[in-house]
Amino acid sequence: MDYNFHWQPVIGRLPDLLLASLDTLQVAALSIVLGIVIGLLLAILRMNARGRWTPLQWFAVAWIEIARNTPVLFQLFFFGFGLGAWGWHLSPFMIVLAGLSFNCAGYLAENFRGGFQSIPDTQYRAARSVGMSAGQTYYHIIIPQVLRKVWHPLTNQIVWAVLMSSLGMLVGYQELTGSAQYFASRTYRIFEYFAVVALIYYALVKLILMASRMLGWRLFRSEGGV
Amino acid sequence: MLKKLLTLFHCSALGALLASGFALADTLDEVVDRGTLRCAVVLDFPPIGYWNDNNEPAGFDVEYCKDLANSLGVEVDLIPATWSERLPLIVTGRADVVIGSTSDSLERAQTVGFSIPYAVFVSQAIVNTDSGIETFEDMRGKKVAAGVGTVQEQWYEEYADDWGDDYRYQGYQSENEVFLAVEQGKVDAGMTGNIVAGPIAQRFDNIELGPVLPFTADYVSMAGPRKDVSWLNYLNLFIQQQVRTGRYEELWAQFVGSDAPDLTVGGVYY
Repeated sequence: MDYNFHWQPVIGRLPDLLLASLDTLQVAALSIVLGIVIGLLLAILRMNARGRWTPLQWFAVAWIEIARNTPVLFQLFFFGFGLGAWGWHLSPFMIVLAGLSFNCAGYLAENFRGGFQSIPDTQYRAARSVGMSAGQTYYHIIIPQVLRKVWHPLTNQIVWAVLMSSLGMLVGYQELTGSAQYFASRTYRIFEYFAVVALIYYALVKLILMASRMLGWRLFRSEGGV
Repeated sequence: MLKKLLTLFHCSALGALLASGFALADTLDEVVDRGTLRCAVVLDFPPIGYWNDNNEPAGFDVEYCKDLANSLGVEVDLIPATWSERLPLIVTGRADVVIGSTSDSLERAQTVGFSIPYAVFVSQAIVNTDSGIETFEDMRGKKVAAGVGTVQEQWYEEYADDWGDDYRYQGYQSENEVFLAVEQGKVDAGMTGNIVAGPIAQRFDNIELGPVLPFTADYVSMAGPRKDVSWLNYLNLFIQQQVRTGRYEELWAQFVGSDAPDLTVGGVYY
């Protein structure tokens, strides 16, 4: 490869790239929050099926199946040009947010379901037998244990959301990757831009993993950490 | 772990350096030795480059690739590319030449080598029939799209400061997505080359031709490795011969259907 690296154009754009990485973090964070809320609902719906399947249960299963078994890119295109074909136009930010939330909710639902099912029924019965209400049982006994079980998968999902948001550039959202490509197309210094962007992603993910570990240590230290 | 990664990185960098250090033949030698010309084209830019009804690459640029390969007595290996893949294909050596309507900006010329212009376009908008856009000024405040990395994007951006909130630009990865966005009404207008705008406006019911954009003429060149001057010289001669032999006019008439534009600029040497 006969190529001399020019770093100056990238260094000049570094402030813009860092600003764009805030967009990346923003859309990833929002999609995770939405994903957790919706994922919990889906998990509860799916767990309560117990033989009798209502439309709500079908809905939850369909959501989880589609979210987990189709490419994220397909999901983004659905919210972009798919809905667009019916005249419903989301902004690029909303397309990415909707697509990632849809995806995260599907994956997290299964994580939560696994977490809930790993808690033995005896925990629930024991809590009730010492006089706790159902709410108290969930709040003090079940949820803390589930949270600990799903902590690592949840962290993975956050990392996944940050990295997957880079697909946003394909539906016109200028997050970190999109901005890098935009600037790179001016100078054609594509390697330099993407090398720097890869480093920024690496740093972001490392920060998230560190934060997760520290928070996990604080939350679960009485039980010997996660 | 990090140390191991760094070592691995160094080793592979050294390997790449060694491999490149001994490859002293120029692209022209390589193409002739190999017996194939790896020619990158953009195929979502009808009638310059597109997939025809038989799902084969076709268009003005594709014919130019074939002619270039013919001139060298080699087979052609067409590499479909998006706008933003054009340079990496050259720099990583996966393509010998890009014949993909690449505008010859000075900023880009610091990275890739350009031939003399082989075609020239005027920038024109395509608009959604409901957009109400008739002049360029009407595009103020409207959602306007273009392909990321196109010159239309760059020229339009010069209006950003002046227009403020009325500058509502939206970039898409490919020309096809721009057309789709205009067709669906996701954006009011898309910016592209004039010869592409015409056929697109004809093909879709709710897309019509918009204003010609007040940008400078878009001279497009073939792109090759920047330091490979002997190869770029060959490309220049090829472009010259295409005009001299009437092939340029013939292909332009066949695909674009109008008089082939003059490729010279008065009053200055290239």
